[in-house]
Amino acid sequence: MSSVPVAQTTVESVEKPDRLGEWSGKSIPRKEDGRHLKGQALFTDDKWQHRMGYAHFVRSPHAHARIVSVDTSRAEALEGVFGTLTGDEVKDLSEPFFQIAPPPGGNLKEWCLAVGKVRYQGDAVAVVLAESREIARDAAELVEVEYEPLPAIVDGIAAADPDAPLLHDEVGSNIVWHGVYDYGDIDWALENADHVVKIDRLHFHRFSSTPLECNAAVVNWEQGTGVIEIFSNNQMPMFASLVIGPALGVPSNKIQFQSQDIGGAFGIKIGSYPQITALALLSKKLGRPAKWTEYRTDHMLSAGHGNERTFVDIQVPVMADGTILGVKVRAFDDAGAYLHYEPLGAVIWSQVVPGCYKIKHVQVDFTETVSNKCPTIPNRGYSRMQHLWLIERIVDVVATELGFDPVELRKHNYIQPEDYPYETPNACVYDSGDLPKALDLALGAVDYPAWLKRQEELGTGSGKRIGIGIGTTLDSGTNNFGQARIINPELPFSGNGEAAYAKLDLYGEVNLNLGTTPQGQGHETTAAQVVADILGMSPDDVNVTAGFDQRHNTYVAFSGTYASQFAVTGLGAAMGAAEKLRAEILKVAAYALEADEADLDLGGGQVFVRGDRERAIPFIGIANLVYSNNAVLSPELAGSVSLNCRHVYVPPFQVPDHEAKTGNLTLTYASQTHVCVLEIDEETGHVEILDYAVADDCGRVINPMIVDGQVHGATALGIGAALFETFEYDDEGQLMQSSFYDYHAITALDAPHIKTEHVQTPSPFTPNGAKGMGEGGGAPLHAVCAAIQNALDDGAPVVSESHNSWERIYRLINHEPNAPRGVEVVTR
Amino acid sequence: MLLESVEYTRPRNLDEALRALASREGAAVLAGGQSLVNVLKNRVASVDLLVDVSRLDELRRIEVGADGGLEIGACVTYDELERSDDIRGAQPMLASAAGHIEDRQIRNRGTIGGNCCLSDPSNNLPPLLIALGATMNVQGPGGGRQVPAEDFFFGYFMPALEPGEILRSISIPPLADDAGVGYQALSVGHDSKAIVRAAAHVRGGDTIEDARVVLAVVGPRPVRHSAMEDLLNGAPASAETVERASEAIGDGDGLEPISDAHGSADYRRRVARVLARRAVYEAMMRGARS
Repeated sequence: MSSVPVAQTTVESVEKPDRLGEWSGKSIPRKEDGRHLKGQALFTDDKWQHRMGYAHFVRSPHAHARIVSVDTSRAEALEGVFGTLTGDEVKDLSEPFFQIAPPPGGNLKEWCLAVGKVRYQGDAVAVVLAESREIARDAAELVEVEYEPLPAIVDGIAAADPDAPLLHDEVGSNIVWHGVYDYGDIDWALENADHVVKIDRLHFHRFSSTPLECNAAVVNWEQGTGVIEIFSNNQMPMFASLVIGPALGVPSNKIQFQSQDIGGAFGIKIGSYPQITALALLSKKLGRPAKWTEYRTDHMLSAGHGNERTFVDIQVPVMADGTILGVKVRAFDDAGAYLHYEPLGAVIWSQVVPGCYKIKHVQVDFTETVSNKCPTIPNRGYSRMQHLWLIERIVDVVATELGFDPVELRKHNYIQPEDYPYETPNACVYDSGDLPKALDLALGAVDYPAWLKRQEELGTGSGKRIGIGIGTTLDSGTNNFGQARIINPELPFSGNGEAAYAKLDLYGEVNLNLGTTPQGQGHETTAAQVVADILGMSPDDVNVTAGFDQRHNTYVAFSGTYASQFAVTGLGAAMGAAEKLRAEILKVAAYALEADEADLDLGGGQVFVRGDRERAIPFIGIANLVYSNNAVLSPELAGSVSLNCRHVYVPPFQVPDHEAKTGNLTLTYASQTHVCVLEIDEETGHVEILDYAVADDCGRVINPMIVDGQVHGATALGIGAALFETFEYDDEGQLMQSSFYDYHAITALDAPHIKTEHVQTPSPFTPNGAKGMGEGGGAPLHAVCAAIQNALDDGAPVVSESHNSWERIYRLINHEPNAPRGVEVVTR
Repeated sequence: MLLESVEYTRPRNLDEALRALASREGAAVLAGGQSLVNVLKNRVASVDLLVDVSRLDELRRIEVGADGGLEIGACVTYDELERSDDIRGAQPMLASAAGHIEDRQIRNRGTIGGNCCLSDPSNNLPPLLIALGATMNVQGPGGGRQVPAEDFFFGYFMPALEPGEILRSISIPPLADDAGVGYQALSVGHDSKAIVRAAAHVRGGDTIEDARVVLAVVGPRPVRHSAMEDLLNGAPASAETVERASEAIGDGDGLEPISDAHGSADYRRRVARVLARRAVYEAMMRGARS
């Protein structure tokens, strides 16, 4: 064991016998794919229960309005309707959801249906249960709601104005959280820098990863047992339990979440707990299971949008040699109408304070507001992506304004391979990496020099511009939940973990249970790979139970699938459980073979004496001895092995310092370096991506094919967000993109061929050297914005929006000669 | 799954279809259903009887005259348009445009008649059919009539069909030896709604003899831009001519583009000028090559 002491952070390096290798590291086909390709998966909408009704929510057409009255009588009178539930009933039957924010933001009251007021277009005011989906929808249209419209506020910064329309009276303002993150000495840096680059405003827009399957749940409040059975695609069921239990006044052991196959989630499916709560109340009231499958437009209006963040008054001290000393900025997160998982976004960005660079002095004045828009919810790259986009925009603006080569400027400022483990200004520890190598690989994959030449040759008059952009990003994984204390010191959260349960079954096969909720990440496959390596058997003989199941699977309070951590926490738990099972198998085998445990080895599904494969016992023999033939064993042995082994993986974290806002907030730091080459049609602003490469580093790779799939997915979603996908509201708070007609989710036709390169710098802190990498860090947004900027002339404005429609690009190219550029350089 | 309850009938021939359509005020023609079903799901139209004409043989034929003129049944699918050797030979741009409509699933079901009868100003085929000088063959209870494509697309979701009428087929005159066709569209993604479309048909040699320029998604209906056409007709067939003529597209020319999530009215007008120029130039080049 070696340890790395830093200010408040000690991370033990993990040194254990390495049994991974025969199966791990190989692109074995996914166990999940057979049932998916054959249409045999079990999604929530496939679930049916006796006497079940179908639920449909009645949603507000107004962004902000007082609810004068809700009349459900016509709906209730419709044949086939079982009943309804309204906000007034909910207020009597349940408590407001617990809030993460401290007061005054924490005074905010939200029930599972709107009470008294609606606060965004799509806010649910009532829910109907009927014998079919169609009748439920018909009945929902018959619910008569009288509204008294109120002025709406849709701008997250203007919402902070004391005169802005107030969403939540009990908060007293629209500011729900504020804090200043101050690391190093930014004033010193600004005074002593050779240049200060000032950027007026950068805006990171709202979008969603639009999972193929919308939210869904079948909820049955069992009248006899008092147990609330929830079969759903919620991806963080333990967080949902934490919120739902107190709201309904039921103990957590009466809440039983289950899931199996989930059609994509990306963080968005953390946010279905209000609907699940309403379904529980509906089920209890009407004595029937309630099924809800969300329609796409409902999903777009109300299931949650990714965090929208505006950065203003950005100041960047830079030395003459290009060293970026620091960043000073004011950030505004617009959480939408209610706080769903928020304001955790106001701290989670600080996992990656300096981005990929040795930036030492950082001050972020962070304000989170509410507005009359759909609540935000974590979305792939949650909160770090927004900050990393800021940092990458800064690096490119500095390069453009001060005349540095963007490649050289990055390499000059990057954290270097020899600097790891690297402690950031807020005491996070970056575990491993080789950013210069990753950048070289990505540039090589697109043949960077050739594109530079093409760009020069193209010249003016062709009507086309070529832009080349780099995006370096981090995917910080395995959260330390202690960071929640930086938002609210009263929150009794810290650390993280995951559980696994390994069992040798009757005929010598292995069953592995996990507490995770996979949504396409291939957990069944990668868990089987590591378990197979540890137990010396084929992954085909390892059955991994998919999905979360509070009745039968093991779990801990952190269980779920979110925040880029399965390769560390999930596989860490699986490996620990497999090691415990291995130890028991060896113990039984030593007895049966009359050999010393130290002389035994596992392979091919049996235990054998090293050097003499004839002296062996297959796993079926071990299982027989323990389960069906235990009188043969010594009483000591029979009493000490069960072949049922649970392990909880606990990452090495300490409690962060909430006053200093420092601590080790995440265990691993995967990186992705993207290079985008695009061509812009000057006359329309239309973009075509000509070449695209990604170099990823997620430490030790368990299944390269799955990692490549994640890279492809993150790349496509990021390009979609950068060019196509945006949620925008008009001044009245009406969502302008509430269907796929207006929200163009990227498809395979729009995605470029993605060239992938790999760097493997194993994490010294994880049980297997792997680093979580599922979110990807939003690098296409960085790279596409940089490429657009690169295609513009020197007098063009700064690319200040993360979403660039054809029109926006057209306006940037065809800017007025003296248009404000949004940037200024002060040189000493 | 979201429809209000609705009756459905599948007549055996066009006469039966016309009778079914006349039987009920809320009857509507169902062809490929790629738009109508969405409209019904969103409950923005009230229909109580669907008259499914999608399998009527008489609406599914593609006929080529000796002169290369085409008569295309209203229920020919986009996929069939794209793959038909007759269409590829006589009107290659129509085959190509049909092959770029949305995605394969939609192309397998969506029909040329449905694309026209919806009269959605952003639809792919109407501007091209106007440019090609197509005629819409309409059948009603009292017999048939012919409507020039130019007059068929009456307004937002309003085709020039009287109650009880069905679009039977679309006739497209042969392409002259000295004619070429151009078609340009700008959309958000490869298979999403267009921001602006432009189609052009140009005939002539060194001098442009006849130009038809049609713009779409710049108002309630696709329109011919007569000012631009006037500047093209009789002028030398050159890039300069096209460039100069496209400048006729601008303020006060009658276009009424909307502002929406994908672009402002001003941007649409600017893009319309670019796409019109490109479409005419493309048509000129293709005509010259043949």
